Amino acid sequence: MEKPSLLGCNAVIRYIKGVWGQLGLFGKISLIILLNLVLMAVFAPYLTRHPHHVSSGPPLVPPGAGHLLGTDDLGVDLWSMICFGARVSLMVGLFTALLAGLGGGIAGIIAAYRGGWPDRVLMRIVDIMVVLPDLPVMIVLAVFFGSSLHNIIIVLALFSWSMPARLIRSQALALKEQAYIKIAAHYGAGMGHLFFRHFLPELFPLMMVSMIRLAGMAIVTEASLSFLGLGDPTSRSWGLIINHAVSFRGIYFTPFWKWWLVYPWIFLTLLVSSLALLGRDLEGIADPRIMK
Amino acid sequence: MSLQKTSLRSLEYLLTFLLIITLNFALPRLMPGDPFLHLSGEAGEIVEGYTDQQRKYFLEYYGLNRPVTEQYWRYLSEVARGNLGFSYYYKEPVLVIIARRLPWTLFLVATATVLSLIFGILLGSYSAWRRGYWQDKMLYLIMVVFGEIPAFLIGLALLILLAAGIGLFPLAGAITHFARYTSSWDRIKDILHHAALPALTLSLTRTSGIYLLVRNSLGTILARDYMRTARAKGLAEPRIRYRHALRNALLPLVTRVALQMGAMVGGAVLVENVFVYPGLGRLMRDAVLVRDYPLLQGIFLVLAISVMGTNYLADLLYRYLDPRTRTTDVMNACGRGTYGKTEPSGL
Repeated sequence: MEKPSLLGCNAVIRYIKGVWGQLGLFGKISLIILLNLVLMAVFAPYLTRHPHHVSSGPPLVPPGAGHLLGTDDLGVDLWSMICFGARVSLMVGLFTALLAGLGGGIAGIIAAYRGGWPDRVLMRIVDIMVVLPDLPVMIVLAVFFGSSLHNIIIVLALFSWSMPARLIRSQALALKEQAYIKIAAHYGAGMGHLFFRHFLPELFPLMMVSMIRLAGMAIVTEASLSFLGLGDPTSRSWGLIINHAVSFRGIYFTPFWKWWLVYPWIFLTLLVSSLALLGRDLEGIADPRIMK
Repeated sequence: MSLQKTSLRSLEYLLTFLLIITLNFALPRLMPGDPFLHLSGEAGEIVEGYTDQQRKYFLEYYGLNRPVTEQYWRYLSEVARGNLGFSYYYKEPVLVIIARRLPWTLFLVATATVLSLIFGILLGSYSAWRRGYWQDKMLYLIMVVFGEIPAFLIGLALLILLAAGIGLFPLAGAITHFARYTSSWDRIKDILHHAALPALTLSLTRTSGIYLLVRNSLGTILARDYMRTARAKGLAEPRIRYRHALRNALLPLVTRVALQMGAMVGGAVLVENVFVYPGLGRLMRDAVLVRDYPLLQGIFLVLAISVMGTNYLADLLYRYLDPRTRTTDVMNACGRGTYGKTEPSGL
C-alpha cells in the first residue's frame, strides 16, 4: 500500500481515491452517511430555522411543516437540537480519538522499541485497564469531577488508550525485527529518527483505523453517560435528548415518543453503526491479515 | 514456572483491587468543595453553615483531622470488615441496600451470559460452516453492527416495538406491583415475563463478541490436519463438527466470557435503566441523581470486585481446562483486547 505523503496534495488525493476503491459497499455507504452527519454538524446554524436551546413553539408538537421533527416538552425544536447535538457527539469522538489514539499509539511504539521495564509496566497497566468495568468507573468519575464536556473527553481518553496501545505495540514488535529497521539502527539512527521515519509512517494507517474505532466507542460512551443523566447539561447531546424523553413520565402511553425518542435514536444508531462498518472495512485494508 | 505465572496473575489482580479501593478512598478527598456542605443535603434544601466549633467536632468525629495514611488504613480495614458506609439518602447501611438489589442484577447478567453464549455459539458455528457464502457474510455484517450499538439503544428499540408498540411485554419493573399470586409458578412466570426484554437486550449486545470468536476459532480449526484425518476416517459429519471441531473452538470462550464481564456489567447498568429494572444499575443512577456518594462508591466497589473475581476464576478455570496453557500466558493466547477480532488460540 502506498504511504501518504504529508506534503504532496496530489498524493493525498490519490491515497484517498485508493482507499475509496478498496472500500466495500457498506464501507462506502457508511462513509457517505458520516460525511453527511459531519456536514450537518458543521452547517447546523444554516440548516435550522429555530434555536436549539430555547423554546420556539408549543410543546410536544408532532413533526410537520413548522417543526420538521416536532418539539420536546419545552417546545424546543427537535431538528435544531439534533443538528447541534451532532456537534457534541462528533467533537467527543474526534478529540477522544486523537488523545487516546495518538497517546496510546506512541506509548505502544515506545514500549515495543524500548522493551524492558517500560514495556512491562505498560502491559501491566493495559492488563489492569482491561479488567476494570469502564462504565461504572466513568460514572463514578463523572459524578465526582463534574460532567463538563472536556472532563468527559479526558475520562474517555484515559479509559480507551489501552486498546490502541496494545494493538500498535504488537505491530511495532513485528516491525522492530524487520531487516531495514535493524540496518537503520546499525547505521546509528536514533530513537527519534526511527520513530518519525519508520515506525510512525508504517503504523499510521493502523493508528487511523483504531482512531475511527475509538471515536465510535467514545460517542457510544458519551451517549450512554448522557442517557444516565451524566452528560454535560449545557450541551444538548443526542444521549441527553433521549434521557429527557425517557424521563418524561408515561411517555410510552403517549404518542410523543414517536418523534421525541425515535429521531435521536435513529441518528445515534446511524452514526455509531456507520463508524463501526467503516472501521471494519478500513481495518481490513490497513491490516490484510485480518480474515474477511 | 506455572506456579510463578499463577502467582504473578494473582499479584496483578491484587494490584487492580488495591487500585480500585484507593480510587474509592481518594475520590471524595480529591473532590472540589467542602464535605460539610453535602452533609445535610438533599437537593434543593437550604444548607446551613457550620460554626468553627461544629466543623472541628465533625472533623474529629469522622477522623478527617488525622494523617491521610491513617485514614487510608482505617478505610481499608472498614472495607475488609464489610462496612461500606452509610447511605445518607436511604438512611441505611450501604451493604444492606446493595444486598437487596444485587440478586436482580446477578439474575439479569447470568441469564444474558447464558443466552449470549447460546446465540453466539449457534450463529458462530453456522457462519463458520458456511464460510464465504452469503449467509455468513450477512450474519457477519449484522453482528459487527450489533456489537457496536450501545445496549440502551437496542433496549429502547425493543421497548418501543415490543412493549409500547404491541404490548407484548411489561414496560418497566421486575415484578407486577401489588400482585397476588395463586402459586409460586405464577410468580416465577411474572418475573420471567418482566426479565425477558432486559435479558434479551443484554444478550444481544454481547452475542457479537462470542459470535466473532467462535467463527474465527472454528474457521482455523476446520483447516487443521486432524479435521482431514477425521474425514478420511469416514466419521459422520455431525461427529466431526461437534466432537472434533466445536469442542476445541469453545475453549477460548471461557476467557472471552470473563473478559466481556466488564462490558456486560456496564451494559446491565444501561439496560436496567431502560427497563427500570430494580438492580444495582438502577440504584446507581438513583444514587447519582441524589448525589448519594457512599452508596455510589459501594455499588462501584461491588461491581468492580465481581468483574475482577470472574476474571480471576476464568483464569484459573482456563488453566485447568487447557493443559497447553499451563506454561503460556492465557491472555496472550486469547488475543485479548484487540477489538473483538480475536486470534484463536493457535498454540
